[in-house]
Amino acid sequence: MYWGGNPAECHPRHFTKYTLMQKSKFLPRGRKDRTMILVDIRETKSGGAADIFLQIRPGKDFEVLTILRAILKGQHVNESAIAETGLTLEQLTDFIDRAKKAKFGCMFFGMGLSMTRGKHMNSAALLTLAAELNAFTKFVAMPMRGHGNVTGADVIMRWQTGFPFGITFNRGYPRYNPGEFSTVDVLVRGDTDAALILGADPGATMPQPAIDHLARIPTIVLDPKVTHTSRLARVHITTSVAGISAPGTAYRMDEIPLPLKPALKSPYPTDQEVVRRINEAVARKSHWIPDGGPMTILQR
Amino acid sequence: MSPIILTLKERPKVPLEAETVTPDAFVTMSNAQIRESLVYHGKRHCRLDDFFDVTGEYSDDIEMHGDLHQVKLLGKSMSRGQLKIHGSVGMHLGADMRGGRIEVTGDAGDWIGAEMLNGFIHVHGNGGGQIGAAYRGSLRGMRNGTIIIGGTAGLEVGMRMRRGTIIVGGKVRDFCGLQMKGGTIVLMSGAEIRTGAWMVRGTILSLQPLPLMPTFVASGHYNPSFIDLYARELRTHGITLPNNPSVGNWARHCGDTSIPGRGEILIWNPANQIPKD
Repeated sequence: MYWGGNPAECHPRHFTKYTLMQKSKFLPRGRKDRTMILVDIRETKSGGAADIFLQIRPGKDFEVLTILRAILKGQHVNESAIAETGLTLEQLTDFIDRAKKAKFGCMFFGMGLSMTRGKHMNSAALLTLAAELNAFTKFVAMPMRGHGNVTGADVIMRWQTGFPFGITFNRGYPRYNPGEFSTVDVLVRGDTDAALILGADPGATMPQPAIDHLARIPTIVLDPKVTHTSRLARVHITTSVAGISAPGTAYRMDEIPLPLKPALKSPYPTDQEVVRRINEAVARKSHWIPDGGPMTILQR
Repeated sequence: MSPIILTLKERPKVPLEAETVTPDAFVTMSNAQIRESLVYHGKRHCRLDDFFDVTGEYSDDIEMHGDLHQVKLLGKSMSRGQLKIHGSVGMHLGADMRGGRIEVTGDAGDWIGAEMLNGFIHVHGNGGGQIGAAYRGSLRGMRNGTIIIGGTAGLEVGMRMRRGTIIVGGKVRDFCGLQMKGGTIVLMSGAEIRTGAWMVRGTILSLQPLPLMPTFVASGHYNPSFIDLYARELRTHGITLPNNPSVGNWARHCGDTSIPGRGEILIWNPANQIPKD
């Protein structure tokens, strides 16, 4: 099942390499042994590959997922309110029946779910539905990531701190609170007086108040190319491109680490080299923490 | 006992974390000790008097003056006394509070009274989101006490609250009473969408019509006697809650059936709008 995503255009190898076409020991006929359901607010190219297309009204994802959870438990749902989602009780009941009968279900969700009204609660609703379906059969859920190696950032933060994002180190240990410490919220509120941007372009994607704040404060950008963010930054350090002229590790969407080997040489340093040299320069500065104060992770 | 007065002299450039500002701590401190109290300006350890002029000592009555919207964690875990803030204040006001009273004349940020155990918080202006809520990953929000917000409030008010009362005078944004496990939320001006989503127990009272989740079931109209008890208690705070059958009644909606939960949303129906059934 794909929810709020358009893999045919955004992840073109997803059907053929992972979800629909592959033949296996238990599914020898490949596509014919599988059922694909697409849930979206409009018909996209991915709709052509789907067995069932459920078109819901914009902003009704959370409601539909909550109704599905109620139907899964055999609970009463207000039928006239279901009509407001753009679907019928029969469609949703059929969805649940198919999900229960599946041998192994997988839900993929895109930004059509996670970035619309409700945001993290929409994702939480889908993850909870997947968890509850495990009372009947095996079900998993996975986000369809947008930009390159977003999964890598999440995995490394999780491994280093126990949390995937929205972390502060100001007490010398990680504290997690999305909405308070996540980048976009910190920038919109104007809580920072400096910014270091690595391999990202918030100037192209974040809301205008966040971009305005980045322009006001000293912003340092490490990027191989000129971006919206580098144009408003005080300092832009050009770095080599990971996977082309710099080695490294990229994480696939399913959290499989893939080593990258450089094919070309670059006159520019890698991101890692630049950050290491900044760290060394910072370490040479005088110590500002009073005696007995906690040390930060970087200083240990 | 004269109050300890803190007046902001320099507005912090980045958030100032000042959980040391509590009546519990200041009641045993001299003026010099209060001025030495540790606050975190971003990552830096600072003294309280780097940012505030301090007068008074040995008191559990604190007054603060100035625009404190960058100052977080005021009154955290306090269990006694009074904290009065003349102006606006930042996040986590009265978080984990156990007793005492906090009053804010301006606005307050997110997480007001988060996971509080008891006490009283009154914000005369607007409140942020996650009022009386549970922190991310935590199972229970506020467990007792009262929070009154005079103006509007943000997202996820009363998320996973277990007990206690939240009253909001202005309109509330989405997910009010999300995963609520008990307690009462009173919405004087209604709320946006998804009110009571995934609620297990508890009561949400709204004096204005609400858009309800499809997983709530209409369960009749009545004038419950417990509302009279609430009304009597809230009258002491200047809040009027109607319950006279001649003036109107409450429409009861049960849910959220997706859990399946036994929470209730009561929406006030003025007498001239009561449906004939």
